Amino acid sequence: MELITSANRDLSAFPLDPRTKILLLLCANVVIIGGGFSGTAGIIRALFASFPLFLLLLERKWRAAAFYTLFIGTAMACEILLLQRTAGIWNLLIVIFSGIFSRFVPGLVMGFYVVSTTKISEFIAAMERLRFPPALIIPFAVMMRFFPTVKEESAAIGDAMKMRGIRMGGGNAIAMLEYRVVPLLISTVKIGEELSAAALTRGLGGPGKRTNICEIGFRLRDWTLCAIAVSALLIWMMGGTA
Amino acid sequence: MIELKDISFRYGKGERDTGLSHLNLTIPGGQVVLLCGESGCGKTTLTRLINGLIPHYYEGKLTGQVLVHGLDTAKVPLYQTAATVGSVFQNPRSQFFNVDTTSELAFGCENLGLEEEEIRRRLRKTIGDFRLEPLINRSIFALSGGEKQKIACASVSALDPQVFVLDEPSSNLDAVATAELAEMIRLWKSQRKTIIISEHRLHYLRDLVDRVVYLQDGKIAAEFTMEEFIRLPAARTEAMGLRPLSLEQLAKPSGNFLAPGANGSIAFSNLCFTYAKCRETLRIHSLSLSRGSITAVIGHNGAGKSTFARCTCGLEKKCRGELRLGARTVKAGSCLKHCYMVMQDVNHQLFAESVLDEVLLSMEREDAAEAEGILDSLHLLELKDLHPMSLSGGQKQRVAIASAIASGREIILFDEPTSGLDLRHMREVAQSLKVLSKQGKTILVITHDPELILSCCTGVLHLDRGQVAAEYPLDGAGVSRMLSFFWGFDSRQERQVV
Repeated sequence: MELITSANRDLSAFPLDPRTKILLLLCANVVIIGGGFSGTAGIIRALFASFPLFLLLLERKWRAAAFYTLFIGTAMACEILLLQRTAGIWNLLIVIFSGIFSRFVPGLVMGFYVVSTTKISEFIAAMERLRFPPALIIPFAVMMRFFPTVKEESAAIGDAMKMRGIRMGGGNAIAMLEYRVVPLLISTVKIGEELSAAALTRGLGGPGKRTNICEIGFRLRDWTLCAIAVSALLIWMMGGTA
Repeated sequence: MIELKDISFRYGKGERDTGLSHLNLTIPGGQVVLLCGESGCGKTTLTRLINGLIPHYYEGKLTGQVLVHGLDTAKVPLYQTAATVGSVFQNPRSQFFNVDTTSELAFGCENLGLEEEEIRRRLRKTIGDFRLEPLINRSIFALSGGEKQKIACASVSALDPQVFVLDEPSSNLDAVATAELAEMIRLWKSQRKTIIISEHRLHYLRDLVDRVVYLQDGKIAAEFTMEEFIRLPAARTEAMGLRPLSLEQLAKPSGNFLAPGANGSIAFSNLCFTYAKCRETLRIHSLSLSRGSITAVIGHNGAGKSTFARCTCGLEKKCRGELRLGARTVKAGSCLKHCYMVMQDVNHQLFAESVLDEVLLSMEREDAAEAEGILDSLHLLELKDLHPMSLSGGQKQRVAIASAIASGREIILFDEPTSGLDLRHMREVAQSLKVLSKQGKTILVITHDPELILSCCTGVLHLDRGQVAAEYPLDGAGVSRMLSFFWGFDSRQERQVV
């Protein structure tokens, strides 16, 4: 949650077309979760794992970039250095830890990058250009709108819990989860309800074609990044079948 | 023209709002109408009928007909009504679809499928009209409540509807933002728009409204022109459960004045805090409060009121400074054990499955008899087995107050406890504060409600730019000093009329 704090605060410093971002997100997830450690597959995997880092740096999200480097660095170091030298339960733990982190964290961070740098209207415009139906676009757009809301509400509930002296470790874990999740659900459901009412009175949901004044489009940087991602993906796939 | 013909409405199960019965109302084009009355009188329901949310979004049993410029809002779909009726709601946090301001301003026009050039033209005009340049291209989550409400009004305005419906738009606003809201309404009025405002706080609407409709139990109980309404004696408006129409009516000594140092004191010294990325800082060298006093914390947006509250509660670990409670000295970072805050949105701080459990949860050692005693003092005993979330807003707030008492902490803070409350509920809050004060708690209330201050506070702490601008008891001179702080905005408003 901490990472989303800075979400949507400023305009993007290195604007990309939302379609590029989505393509990068998909390719990175396929390759990194798909696996392969040795030879070209390993290099390509490292290439995709470095994408989120560069994008975060370009957006000047220093903290997120530092966290990411730390996590991935540790996970990869464990994988390379400790895996061969340990046995038994420790070996298993390291396999689980490094496996999960090196496979899922890059995708998550990439997702964070997409959500925190894309305006909802840009996202809608991009999805419309890709000819997705509104029934698919609107729920995704609402989801993006909700990330910062959930963060805000959750912070307020965290404060309230601190004040009540409800802390992790004191009571049982299920009760803690309940204390955090129930008020969060109640307040987000209420916000969601009011949000829908407001959106409907602003004419959302009409049958006519929606205009979008957002200017999106491919630039040189988009073409370059897409070319790199797609060719890397192809090489990875051929490597896999060979 | 808006016509409501013999409207009756009852909400479906699960809604706690009141319906309407056999209501007739005709509003000619260009009129500015104020809907007032106690909470639950049906004024919100009436606004929902005009913007079509009833029956399209809130379900229930509706008879009668609503015609807005010839549109039957029950028959035509919401997106069609949207072009004629623009709506602004109470909660600035929950009326945005986008996360950035510019997209939000264009959102309505985009939905209606207007030409791109036309939308850009309207955006430029709206931005100019409302002087929004500083707010353009910003994240909505980084705006203050007042700024959010400004964007909400402007995004409706960009749609250029004939009718504006505002449902308690000033509920969450401070004095400056309320004055700005009044300016926006004035602009619409000058464009001959029909405006319907449902509201508890009345003083900012004094020179804007043409006609006042007073609702009671889902019926129109009285109607006035603004001239008649202004002339109503204070006793009458009070009996109607209405907030005062002008702050002058409030100018009388409060009688809550507490002699300083009567019960010992609580002193703050060198309270300092700086946000990592902001310039907003808090710097309070010394401040002393009498035990059992109720101090109103006033000041502009960004004056450091909430930072002060968070530091006092120990929610900001990096806050430096000390708190002296009698003989004990406590570091600011560990105030959590001595202070408790009743939050503006009490939903955030209710966790348990019943009202009684909620109170027990706060106690160091669970004691059911004592918990019931606390509930009784706040008139909550008969609700003790209900789920806190099933209660009304006022009851929830009292449950939060009950758990504050149960926690045994000495200082209790309130963050805007009366925003959006009618006269009766405001007085209930004042009553609860007095109960706390009698039990020897020291109370700080962040508020922009001069009536609440006069009903129960004993002193005022005025913050400005993170520092103590003034601190005074609420004796005769204190009352006029406090009122002049709030008056400042009202009189500025009047100057702009001339």
